[in-house]
Amino acid sequence: MKQMKLFLGPQHPGMHGNASVHLYVDGDIIKRSFLLPGMLHRGFEKGMERHSWVNNISLIPRVCVVEPDINEMAFAMGTEKLLGLEVPERAHWIRMIILELARLSIHLMAYGGLGGPTGNYTLMYHAHADRNSILDIFEQISGHRVYHQYIVPGGVRKDLPKGIEKDIHAFIDDLESRYEEYRDLGIENPSIVARITDTIMLPADVVWELGVTGIGMRSAVNKPYDIRKVMPYARYDQVEFYAPFADYSDARARIDCKLQEVLQSISIIRQCLIKIPEGPVRVPLGRGQSMRWTVPKGYVYSPVESSRGEFGYYMVSNGGTNPWRVGVRGASYPQGLLGIEKYMPGTRLDDAALWVDTMGVCSPEIDR
Amino acid sequence: MMNSMSNIEYVKGLIEKGFKVLETDVIDQYQVSFVVKQADVLQVLVTLKNAGWKQMSYLSAIDWPDETKIEMVYILMNWERAVHVQIRSKIDRNDPVMPSIITVYPGAKYYERECHEFFGVKFPGNPDYEKQLILEMWDDMPPLRKDFDPQAYSDRKFTKREYNQDYKILSEDNKLKEKREARKERAQSLKGGPKA
Amino acid sequence: MKSTKFTPARKLSKEEIDRKWWEIGDYFRRNSLWMLMYCTGCCAIELPPAMTSAYDMERLGMGPMATPRQADILLISGYLSVKSLRRVIYTYEQMSEPKYVVGLGSCPINGGIYHDSHAVINQLDQYIPVDTYVSGCMPNTESVMNGFVDLMEQIKNKTAKGWIKYKENNEWYKSNQMAALGEVIIHDEFHE
Repeated sequence: MKQMKLFLGPQHPGMHGNASVHLYVDGDIIKRSFLLPGMLHRGFEKGMERHSWVNNISLIPRVCVVEPDINEMAFAMGTEKLLGLEVPERAHWIRMIILELARLSIHLMAYGGLGGPTGNYTLMYHAHADRNSILDIFEQISGHRVYHQYIVPGGVRKDLPKGIEKDIHAFIDDLESRYEEYRDLGIENPSIVARITDTIMLPADVVWELGVTGIGMRSAVNKPYDIRKVMPYARYDQVEFYAPFADYSDARARIDCKLQEVLQSISIIRQCLIKIPEGPVRVPLGRGQSMRWTVPKGYVYSPVESSRGEFGYYMVSNGGTNPWRVGVRGASYPQGLLGIEKYMPGTRLDDAALWVDTMGVCSPEIDR
Repeated sequence: MMNSMSNIEYVKGLIEKGFKVLETDVIDQYQVSFVVKQADVLQVLVTLKNAGWKQMSYLSAIDWPDETKIEMVYILMNWERAVHVQIRSKIDRNDPVMPSIITVYPGAKYYERECHEFFGVKFPGNPDYEKQLILEMWDDMPPLRKDFDPQAYSDRKFTKREYNQDYKILSEDNKLKEKREARKERAQSLKGGPKA
Repeated sequence: MKSTKFTPARKLSKEEIDRKWWEIGDYFRRNSLWMLMYCTGCCAIELPPAMTSAYDMERLGMGPMATPRQADILLISGYLSVKSLRRVIYTYEQMSEPKYVVGLGSCPINGGIYHDSHAVINQLDQYIPVDTYVSGCMPNTESVMNGFVDLMEQIKNKTAKGWIKYKENNEWYKSNQMAALGEVIIHDEFHE
């Protein structure tokens, strides 16, 4: 049969983000496939050179829209390393709470995103309703639902409001009590299990060839390779948690690892709320001083563990008030570009959107 | 995991013994960077890969127009001995050519394609480094070079709405205007770095 | 007193009959608008809470629709890069009339935070006509729902005339599109 060209186009109900995949299809099996990135390109790396170091905090959360706090954390850690700033103790613990809440919200969204390609909308409705509660907590802490601009070089912008511990505890207790219900709707639902068991494999040699990190790597290599464990930042070495890993990496194992990470995040938030000390939350600065920072020369790479893998900012300073070059390492760059070209052919057309979802391809961080 | 100071010593021993390193910089206990010559880069990467640095994290370039050089950056990661290694080397800016490394790290194929699109660096050995990846029908110089002005490009190409002037200037006070211009001059002059 | 049985009704002209049918159509149109699912930019992250049970959109009669030929509203959620604009123009011209465009966020109004970027267009209504804007960066979900209710008011007052403007001033829109994009046809030698 002749091959037919199709677009899993930018406008598609099951597609995440604005990217299109060009497919050459023979019957129902995909023969060749290429990702077309670039529809979300805004020129961030050029734009960051035109603003000063602290002004960039308002520009960078927009790099990845579903999980904006990791951008602020990586940028703040890199600037502090170049400047030699010491962040106060309470700020480290507040940063950990914010990062783990952000990880909960994106895992809920990705798990609910299974509902689009498979047609189970109940799961999606439950997940988005819970995610809305997390966005309401963020609005109480920082004033904005999505783009917080809360983690700045030198600490966090202001202290947590009074009474927020009660809201956070109420939310995570409620989520933990409904964990079994979430498992029953998604990963133990017979109609979804038939589509994710033994499909969309990611063997270990493919992981090393592409450079995949995060859950994809841990579920294939059978080791806890997580940046929070291997090179801990911000007091992750003082809380107890484990990074889930598995041996056989099909789609079901990766989703199972995600659900275990949700439980681990809940446990980390509980420990942080107990162990958090009192004190200032930001390095004391003069009026307008951070706008005139001149950062000494240096080249630094600051990695953070996001929900999709190793997310890093490469920052170069020339001694001026603006960065000389900032490079963003998107966590899903390897599996989005080379993975789709080499390892997507062979799946069926119905599973194409599911492939993109379970591999964790997020298009804004590929395009920047 | 092993003691991290001995990891850094291990890497330093490995690289400095076999190659001529122009500059070494230990950034903190988990990161170290080496500046090498352009001809040594491929051999350094092969040595590191055989010693366990199996994952390539990032590949990109930095533009230095004053020295007329472009600096290539390669960042590698080893999950057993947790150290990020940065390998940097400067190449000529007017005709930048760098041999491709996809034989060592196959995942670098798309990084090199993007680097060509944004900086103009050629990578012989990579079969399709000249195709456009992120921009479409681009008609100007590579955007991440320092000579490119994105605001001028935007004003030139994208039509803007006409606004009518429905305000009146009451008085032409030149003193405040001069102070404002002088302040802008001072801010602009600090942007590229302090003058020596 | 004249009874209605034996006096003939006043003859209505063809335009008046058409207008009455159009008003009936507007009543049904504004109470069941279908929105095309196309997430073009950042502000699209506020749409899932609006579509699902948090701020239910279906009580206003709106729901998501998969193809442009059967949708009423094209929702431009956020900024548009040049590559995206070519596809959006294709999609807009495929929709059947009457059709409405809603711009979310500050970026379609005047460029927003990316006004000096080489890849993002500045003002959207130079290229396709826009009926309602919802400003903010990013707007709250309740503001988005408020924007939809405003669009329904506009349809009721017959001021949502974007698609008629596109037909009448087609040359002006086309010349702007050519100046910014080069050409609107998508060349696919990307991978070939």
